[in-house]
Amino acid sequence: MELENIEIEGSHKNFFTPTVKFDAKTGICELSGESFLEDTAEFYKPLVDWLVEFTTKIKRPIAFIIKLTYFNTSTSRCILDLLNVLKDYEDEGGEVTVNWHYDENDSDMQEDIEDYMIDTGLNINIIPF
Amino acid sequence: MVKKKEKYDFSLYEYHNLMNQNILVSYKGPIDERIMTVIGENILLVTNDGGDKAKNKIFKVFMELAQNVWLYSAESCKLENGKSVGLGTLVVSECGNSYTFVTGNVVNNADVVPVIEKCETINSLDRDSLREYRREQRRLANEGKPNSGNIGLIQVALTAESPLDIELTPVNDDESFLSIAVKISKDNFRNS
Repeated sequence: MELENIEIEGSHKNFFTPTVKFDAKTGICELSGESFLEDTAEFYKPLVDWLVEFTTKIKRPIAFIIKLTYFNTSTSRCILDLLNVLKDYEDEGGEVTVNWHYDENDSDMQEDIEDYMIDTGLNINIIPF
Repeated sequence: MVKKKEKYDFSLYEYHNLMNQNILVSYKGPIDERIMTVIGENILLVTNDGGDKAKNKIFKVFMELAQNVWLYSAESCKLENGKSVGLGTLVVSECGNSYTFVTGNVVNNADVVPVIEKCETINSLDRDSLREYRREQRRLANEGKPNSGNIGLIQVALTAESPLDIELTPVNDDESFLSIAVKISKDNFRNS
């Protein structure tokens, strides 16, 4: 059975919804914009489930791209869950690339990305814009 | 018959004068996502020092502190849409070389000890140890709160690059008023 792509258009209203584009055919998965949600766990669970499905059944190379300019701390926990799925896939021989773009004025974000690298053991390409 | 004018014992003028003391923004009431977003973005209009680096820090610190009240205030009210949100106070002031963020809300005394212990731990750690503490706490479960990252106050201290100032005032046998203040020095925006 084909895994359906996930496409969510981001919004900046009372809550901030990130833009999500997970493409099962190309393996390119992008999370961008801002993340401050009414129920963070509920929003991210399908994304984690999608990655588990992709990495256990489709098993193609995956490029995970993060371009979040703001995310709150409850989102930060969910990002860890996403990256842990990628790390498990890599440990099983999957091909994983993670590119994390951040605003060069945001040195706190740069530190945080470095901490995710320590925490997950994944190599993350840290790219300022 | 004309109704007799009722005496009103709250002086808005005195309150206004008090709030004029370097206060950029003050708010008391229900803290929901609309309030957080609107105030968070409006603070950026009145904190002009430091460019984009300052804006990133100020917005992040404000949002995390406000979310703390949203999630943990023992006083809540039901909004029109049926949602229940925490009540609290948010104040941002500017004094000399720093911006100060203060939040206040009522907490159950039973919940106070973990918050105080967490603040004491945060204040005892240098930056590298604080980053390690954030990693450790982020790995833990979210303690049953769907929006809790378990690391809000750690994130505030790391972003503000300054310790947390916590004050507890007993309200009654069961509750206290918890105030958390943090400063952001404008030097943080100048040093890279």
